[in-house]
Amino acid sequence: MDKKKQKRILILAVRAGEIMMKAGAEIYRVEDTVERICKACGIDHVDVFALPTGIFVTTDKGSDEDDTYTYIRRLKSSETDLNKISRVNDFSRTFTTTDMTVDEGMDVLDEIEGERKYPVSVRIICASLVAACFSVLFGGGGIDFCIAFISGAICYVFSRLLARADVNFFIRGLCCCALAAFIALVASTNISGAHYGMIITGCIMLFVPGVAITNSIRDFLSGDMVSGVGRMAEAFITAVSLAVGAGIVLKIWDIIGGITL
Amino acid sequence: MMYLLTQFLLALLATLGFSVIFRVPLKKIPACVLVGALGWITYIITVHYLGSPVAGCFTGACMVGMLSSICARCLKEASTIFIIPGILCLVPGSNIYKTMEALLLHNYENTAEIGVQTLFMAGAIAIGLLVIVTIVGLLRITIRKIKGRV
Repeated sequence: MDKKKQKRILILAVRAGEIMMKAGAEIYRVEDTVERICKACGIDHVDVFALPTGIFVTTDKGSDEDDTYTYIRRLKSSETDLNKISRVNDFSRTFTTTDMTVDEGMDVLDEIEGERKYPVSVRIICASLVAACFSVLFGGGGIDFCIAFISGAICYVFSRLLARADVNFFIRGLCCCALAAFIALVASTNISGAHYGMIITGCIMLFVPGVAITNSIRDFLSGDMVSGVGRMAEAFITAVSLAVGAGIVLKIWDIIGGITL
Repeated sequence: MMYLLTQFLLALLATLGFSVIFRVPLKKIPACVLVGALGWITYIITVHYLGSPVAGCFTGACMVGMLSSICARCLKEASTIFIIPGILCLVPGSNIYKTMEALLLHNYENTAEIGVQTLFMAGAIAIGLLVIVTIVGLLRITIRKIKGRV
């Protein structure tokens, strides 16, 4: 195996890890995938250190003439996409068990990375479904269901727009919840029988940091303390941003005494 | 009974929404949705009998973790795919709101009480998952050992 090939294997492995990490996988899964891919290609000494913000991989073939290769990849956070995790997982399984070449592997990863999400319209309907269902689960009525359905859709679209404009997650959560609280307050003052509390709660559930909490626990469990603490902090800050967003609007509404249409 | 059924259906729909937003592979959505809804029902039943949302989060998270491991085994899939949409129903979103509301009313006693409860609920989810993941890990090692002996 020449040096060029070793480099290509390294790039392939880090690429697979990168896609997984960006899609929201746990640390041990990413490290495991990178290590398996390298070992399947005959590189015996592999060390991987993954963080939510970067992957560091060092490979060495072990003999005296071989060089040590290190690849550091800085990652910017992106959206949770469970399908990508599932597909890269399958890919690493097939790559290690069959004799797939590195180039073919690259093609597969390209295909996985270029995959589209579900259509926007479906996602918006589902987001409003989440908000509407939770408003009822937490004690709302039929009217709350309808208002939360509409407000969920608006908040989801707003959060997509903010995400596209590269607004950070704290401000995004804050703005979305502020918007949700505003819609809920306007609706509840003008429509009798609507409870703004339930509607806001329903919309908050859309942005709740469930992924961060789950991943932080699993990271702690597998001994990745740094990532565990980082994701825990992310979850806490997100929760605070949601509360602050809704709180600001409720307070202002209280001070100006409400708007009736 | 009727109440439980409506709760089940609503949780089903809510998890379906999360599954689509987080893009669970299409074929796995039914399993995902069931995991989430059963987790929520476990939460509701525990809260009804023990009266404590913290205990509810714990049993709910255990349920989600257990079902996810089973689904992951049967469908040959990473367990994360089932855990993330399932656990989202249990995350104390309503308590985040209630804490903030109590704070706005200058009711600091309630703020502290609900705030601590929120933290405990998040902790309970963590411990629930932790217990299940540990048990599953132990089971896996034992099964491997037994197989190795035979």
